Amino acid sequence: MSNSDSTPLLSIQALHIAFATANRAQVDAVKGVSFDVFPKQTLALVGESGSGKSVTATAILRLLPKTARIAPHSRIEFAGRNLLQLNAAELRAVRGKDISMVFQDPLSSLNPVFTVGEQIAESLRLHLGMSNKQALTRVVELLNAVGIPRPEARLNSYPHELSGGQQQRVMIAMAIACEPKLLIADEPTTALDVTVQKQILELLMRLREQQHMAMLFITHDLALVREIASRVVVMQQGEVREQNTTEKLFAAPQHPYTCALMACRPRLDVRPQRLPVIDDYLTATSDTNQLAAQPQRQRGTSPQDEIVLEVRNLAKQFTLKTGLFAREHITAVDNVSFRLPRGKTLGIVGESGSGKSTTALAVLRLIKANGGEVLFEGQDLLRLSESDMLAYRRRIQIVFQNPYASLNPRFTIAHLLLEPMHIHRVGKDINERMQLAASMLQRVGLPAEALHRYPHEFSGGQRQRIAIARCLTVKPEVLICDEAVSALDVSVQAQVLNLLQDLQDEFGLSYIFYLARLERGEVFF
Amino acid sequence: MNLSAFIIKRLMNMIPTLLGVMLLVFVLFNWVGGDPAYILAGKIGDPKQIANIRHQLGVDRSYWIQLWIFFKQVCTFDFGRSWSTGELVSDVLLSRVGPTLTIMVPVLILETLLATLFALWVSYVRGSLTDRVVMVICTVAMSISFLVYIIVFQWLFGYRLGWFPVQGWADGFLTNLTRYAPLPVMLAVFVSLSPSLRLYRSFVLEEMNHDYVRTARAKGISERAIMLKHVLRNAAIPILTNVGMALPGLFVGSFLLEVFFSIPGLGREVVESVNRSDFPVIKAITVYLAILTMLANLLVDVLYRWVDPRVTFK
Amino acid sequence: MTHATDSAGPWALAWRRFKQDRVALVSLCITAFFLLVMFASYAGLLARNWSAEVAPSYTAPTLQKVTPLANTHEQVGLPQTFTDPPVDISDIDPLTPHYQEWQQLTAQVAKAQAAQATHLFFGADKWGRDVLAKVIKGSEVSMTVGIVAALLSVMIGAVLGALAGYFGGVIDACMEWLYNVLTSLPSILLILAVAAVFSRGFMTIILILGLTGWTGVYRLLRAEYLQHRERTYVRAAEALGASHASRMFRHILPNVSHVLLVQFSMNVVGFIKAEVILSFLGLGVPVDMVSWGTMLAETQEELVIGKWWQLLAAGGSMAILVTAISLFADAVRDALDPKLNE
Repeated sequence: MSNSDSTPLLSIQALHIAFATANRAQVDAVKGVSFDVFPKQTLALVGESGSGKSVTATAILRLLPKTARIAPHSRIEFAGRNLLQLNAAELRAVRGKDISMVFQDPLSSLNPVFTVGEQIAESLRLHLGMSNKQALTRVVELLNAVGIPRPEARLNSYPHELSGGQQQRVMIAMAIACEPKLLIADEPTTALDVTVQKQILELLMRLREQQHMAMLFITHDLALVREIASRVVVMQQGEVREQNTTEKLFAAPQHPYTCALMACRPRLDVRPQRLPVIDDYLTATSDTNQLAAQPQRQRGTSPQDEIVLEVRNLAKQFTLKTGLFAREHITAVDNVSFRLPRGKTLGIVGESGSGKSTTALAVLRLIKANGGEVLFEGQDLLRLSESDMLAYRRRIQIVFQNPYASLNPRFTIAHLLLEPMHIHRVGKDINERMQLAASMLQRVGLPAEALHRYPHEFSGGQRQRIAIARCLTVKPEVLICDEAVSALDVSVQAQVLNLLQDLQDEFGLSYIFYLARLERGEVFF
Repeated sequence: MNLSAFIIKRLMNMIPTLLGVMLLVFVLFNWVGGDPAYILAGKIGDPKQIANIRHQLGVDRSYWIQLWIFFKQVCTFDFGRSWSTGELVSDVLLSRVGPTLTIMVPVLILETLLATLFALWVSYVRGSLTDRVVMVICTVAMSISFLVYIIVFQWLFGYRLGWFPVQGWADGFLTNLTRYAPLPVMLAVFVSLSPSLRLYRSFVLEEMNHDYVRTARAKGISERAIMLKHVLRNAAIPILTNVGMALPGLFVGSFLLEVFFSIPGLGREVVESVNRSDFPVIKAITVYLAILTMLANLLVDVLYRWVDPRVTFK
Repeated sequence: MTHATDSAGPWALAWRRFKQDRVALVSLCITAFFLLVMFASYAGLLARNWSAEVAPSYTAPTLQKVTPLANTHEQVGLPQTFTDPPVDISDIDPLTPHYQEWQQLTAQVAKAQAAQATHLFFGADKWGRDVLAKVIKGSEVSMTVGIVAALLSVMIGAVLGALAGYFGGVIDACMEWLYNVLTSLPSILLILAVAAVFSRGFMTIILILGLTGWTGVYRLLRAEYLQHRERTYVRAAEALGASHASRMFRHILPNVSHVLLVQFSMNVVGFIKAEVILSFLGLGVPVDMVSWGTMLAETQEELVIGKWWQLLAAGGSMAILVTAISLFADAVRDALDPKLNE
């Protein structure tokens, strides 16, 4: 990295932000954060969800909602001025011209009713005073620079006509249109596919060099940080835990939280008995060296294993009506076959759109398959009647990806756990069922009092554990996990995976694990 | 699918609905309506006279034949003559549509423009005292019965202040527009402004919560430009849908207005023809209205595609 | 763990949010007050004698004691004011033989009670009836019509909408057809038709409004069920083995009940107002009952001669109640908004 001026381009000093909530209370989101961004350098702001990193970034251009309160002694200095003190007109002159921002979800961040060209040209006309013609030419140049093929044609496209990656490129083009000195990128790749993520990162790095701009990069993924940033700031619960240059941070992390973050990143080459978890590092009750040295788990299957579930030639098509009588067929799943041995875990990997969720739903007959067989201990599930299928529903269960959506918000935890027992007649009476529910909750690491609470009172990881408990109440044999940990934070993922591993050991469950990224799951199989 | 296939499919879907409407009207009239022959004969006719009239009107034939005749009438758009006045039904309808539209079209235009402007303004100052006060005024205004408004407006502007005639209608279009229409139009706009304002305000506020507004701010666009360009263009979609849904109502008009202001419009005609058991007129009005409603819905769906680029035909 | 110290379901949370809105609490109190008055009227505690003639026609509102009407059934006899002994003219008076007979006859006629109107807050109407008593009695009809008709329309619309949205396919197509047919006809026509089938009366209005007013609820609930059908928690319930009925009514219904509640209150408001129009059209309650609608129908001729109090009483009470219910419904909707929950 080149050593540029020693005066920082952007200096955040004692930033303190609180949010007013409905019942007049205040929630502190950012508690006294300070760091500097130097010209032409990239600083990464790293933290898990709830760390306050996005709030900090959004505060720079004062884009926070009205409920946000910034403390009067906080300062955000840019080019000699305190951004927090500017009036509306001065602030508008800075936004989009000196400092630009790229957001996480490109589809919702672009205006759906204006063409892509129009949205980019708007900045050019506003800040650089270009005429329509000049703006259009420049827009084509910009689209080229961000790697969009055939930019002259794409000018008149609407955002929803582009892929996720292309939408993000358009956002980036909009951000660099007026050649800002600082680009703030708030988790720009999180919502995109794995392959596209890499492309966008490379694009950002290339543009950074071309435009000689500084970048503030917000992310939860430490791996990305290493490639793109020269300085790192680690945040947790609204405070800065550690900040340093990238090399020094990775070589010798000082704060326990940083160590924990780095250690909990999954690796392909080791398969410990238990995955390390953030708390292990923060509470210092366990010996962290011992964790690193634990014996590895056995992998693989042998030909003697009994096959509990076998899928043959599964096929599913979706039909769209394209004309009065014409129909278009979209093949989602084509001739998929796999086998699951008892007591083992099978991983199925694919990008979004590869059809893996569709196979999961088809196996359970939540979607009607167009062809193939699903043999459970030799019985073809797809040919059974609804009432016969009911018996098998007990034996093969599913945990969904989104823990916020899979639990009925109007049910208490007790109701959620009792329902499957009631349907499949587990337990003699309600008292026995309540006892079973309580013991199942405790098994997944939640107290029995949780029975009387509602899902919205729990975090994502806890909700996923409740979902697992719900499946376990009927003692299934096969558990399908449809990206069950993808929506969770890194450290929480490890907790849930450890739980699943323990349950497999204890109950002899067989798992089918669907996921999009290899590193997360391979530790598990 | 492409546009023409979509339109054809929708036109074909109209047929079962139209048949249903015809059946419903037929059943309602024959089951529920008073005996027209009895009414025409002045309620004291002797049986022979009544039987004669029934034969003339054609209601002595079996129900199936009557239904078949109805069907043919719909296909040819010829419903014969009114049973009470003897006019050609088509003449009746054509003469009534004019006055109704003279009132309803200005009402729709004025009300949409005013409601949209106010909605934008109120959303701009959202959360402030002005916002709350305006919304409370709207709620109170909506809670007063239409009848009360008519009575008070007629009394105040027509009787007391004498600015407008209390009721009446003339032959000339311009006379009507400038002399007889203003009071009912003003009244109708005043009454329908409140619910529309509330609804459009919710549309605008919904749009203001979207991420693209934050992006526009991040680009340095002024709040005014954001409202008038970015938000309005998006909020126009549900607003226009709402206007589209009101289109069929244009033709029926408000029968209350027409009765109180003595406007010879279609709404009043509906009430009067039901009271007179004038079946040809009732048949014609309902069939025309049903077709117009379905065409208006189709028009709205097609225009929707033009206004919202995300929509494709299914 | 992000939980409150005492567990609260979505309804309890909504109630907490609701309590903080002062306007909402006031409108709840006003609505409750009106309901109380209505029940008191039903029980006969208030306005029992609303149809009694208590004052001269069109008496203006007054807070003073009103002189009672002269009792027309008073005994026929000589005025009481004379102090001189009556002059005896019985020998030339041709009617002399009849006086005694008439006295006997009139003594047999029952005397009507002279109802004393102590104060007339809203004056008297054309027939001398106490307008305030009419307003109170009229609330029975207007509010009951509004509430029961709204209940009926919401139930019909909810069941049909749930079936259409959840099952889709043929059932949905049939419902769509029915919906299109009913909405293609002008509503006034349907109302007149239903009114013609049933004789004039209290239940008729409820039936008219309930049977023609369900379409809005149907549309909304169909859209909700279409959306919720695809949600993960319903998929999860299906994977656990829950039946269709269980999914529709035990799982999805609690999640859309807030929509129903808001629609119900909006329909109550709409039907109270519609009753006025129906009464004006002559389709309202029969003449021996009173409702705010019949009162307002009378006001058209009254206003011209300058008598404004009945308009104020009936129009004003209705406006206050409807405003209170509307504000209450708004607050309920805001408090129950699921987006605020998550």
